[in-house]
Amino acid sequence: MRLEEVQRILEARPAWTVRLPRNGEREVVSCLATDLMSDALTTTGEGSLLLTGLTNSQVIRTAGIVDLAAICFVRGKSPQPETVELAEKMGVRLLVTDLSMFEACGRLYEKGLRAAVGDEGDCRTRE
Amino acid sequence: MTLAEIIDRLGLQVRAGDAALRRDVERGYASDLMSDVIANGLEGDLWITLQTHQNTVAVASMKGLAGIVLVNSREPEPDTLEKARRESIPLLVSELPAFELIGRLHGLGLTGLRA
Amino acid sequence: MSDERVTKLQELVYELRVGEIMHEDVISVSPETPMSELREILRINRISGTPVMRDGSLVGMISIEDFIRWLVKSDGDCRVEAKMTRDVRTVFADEPLIQAVNKLERFGFGRLPVLDRKSGKLAGVLTKGDIIEGLLKKLEIDYHEAEMMGARSSHVFEDIIADSSALLFEYQVPGKDFTRAGACASGLKTTLRRLGIHPQTARRAAIACYEAEMNLIVHTDGGRIEARVDGRAIRIQALDEGPGIEDVARAMQPGYSTAPDWVRELGFGAGMGLVNIDKCADRMEIDSTTGKGTRIEVEILLETEP
Repeated sequence: MRLEEVQRILEARPAWTVRLPRNGEREVVSCLATDLMSDALTTTGEGSLLLTGLTNSQVIRTAGIVDLAAICFVRGKSPQPETVELAEKMGVRLLVTDLSMFEACGRLYEKGLRAAVGDEGDCRTRE
Repeated sequence: MTLAEIIDRLGLQVRAGDAALRRDVERGYASDLMSDVIANGLEGDLWITLQTHQNTVAVASMKGLAGIVLVNSREPEPDTLEKARRESIPLLVSELPAFELIGRLHGLGLTGLRA
Repeated sequence: MSDERVTKLQELVYELRVGEIMHEDVISVSPETPMSELREILRINRISGTPVMRDGSLVGMISIEDFIRWLVKSDGDCRVEAKMTRDVRTVFADEPLIQAVNKLERFGFGRLPVLDRKSGKLAGVLTKGDIIEGLLKKLEIDYHEAEMMGARSSHVFEDIIADSSALLFEYQVPGKDFTRAGACASGLKTTLRRLGIHPQTARRAAIACYEAEMNLIVHTDGGRIEARVDGRAIRIQALDEGPGIEDVARAMQPGYSTAPDWVRELGFGAGMGLVNIDKCADRMEIDSTTGKGTRIEVEILLETEP
């Protein structure tokens, strides 16, 4: 699913302020809903959209480590400027939706997006 | 839809609160942050979370939530379980990741809108 | 050889030209310079050797070793030209770096004068330090963050050629400072990717590092993370002098946490830290003494041949 489509479904707005390269935009292949970074870290999150209520810079760093496609903050929580700045530096796309986590998940699921592979798998397993 | 029906439809496992499964549920709330649920959880919400410690039960009880569903096969800590049983808070476990479980709950008609 | 090993360094040794990393602002001396003045010239300029030039042409090289030999002999002051190496090995600025590395190794020199091929004039000087710094810069790794292993830099050259160069990275992690949490793991991941390490392997190392970093921040007043990368594995060590882990077996259970609530509110402390580290590692070792501190060592093997 394209990020534009995600944005439309979630009635979301972009949180970045600089011009990001268009070719840096990635297809969202799956979704991950969590506020716990340990959880996000061990999910095979490559190309995933992270839905979260946390807006600190650890979320961005986590995104960088697991190669997430984008992050959407729920409940209308706008990230702090430092968080946005770090995300821009790392090329991580940020959206903000006023929907709750539950509603955001429900709508994306309805449109066909599925969960990223869960943390039960050992991350030593080759993809 | 009652909690019992949801449990049946999604194959949830009941760990505590058997006596409180007749309750009607219309809304869900998903969060792993206590402060968020304290601030935004509404009475009757079914709470989806990864958090397994006993504070969850205290929050659910205080806010009058319909129950707690632990995702990713997370099992409650012993004191969480004990507290849930004592306070008769339904404590359920799903093997699904949060996104998947919420998607299916939403499909059953639960909403996350905060009307 | 697997192409997923630390190959970027090897590639760069062939790709980079001497002229790209030599230093051009060369300090030189004339053949008439007295040996007694040489030490001061070397000391002031913080160099251990220098070209000897006459009328713009290279006539020899004089080094701190030559100076020491002269001192030991103690047969009175003389001119630099009497003690310098006349049979000077040089490289051209447009030659690949590997040529310079080979020459430095073969002849045991510390520095090589670099000539411009067209004019034959001295274009600069290349030292072993220039090579290390140049390679790291090319990989965009902070020179101060990374240090080639081994006290003698000549090791490095053997190692680069032997495909087992070891790089050591060290990060200081301040305690209770959440603002920079994860910076070390992010940095490590970037570095590993630049070294040409498989993305999956780099990610596992970064995750283990992130969790170890969080542990230092949450539970201690700060500590140190060291990462060592060689041709075989990534080894990460997290060291602290914090309170120690009371019950390691229990701490390894998923969901067991001693983190305070404020940590949970930041998205951590859900009792998955050590579990995640273990999941990502091919080998994990915990050494902890209550009241003394903790050492966690993790080894992640690089992809071997399929």
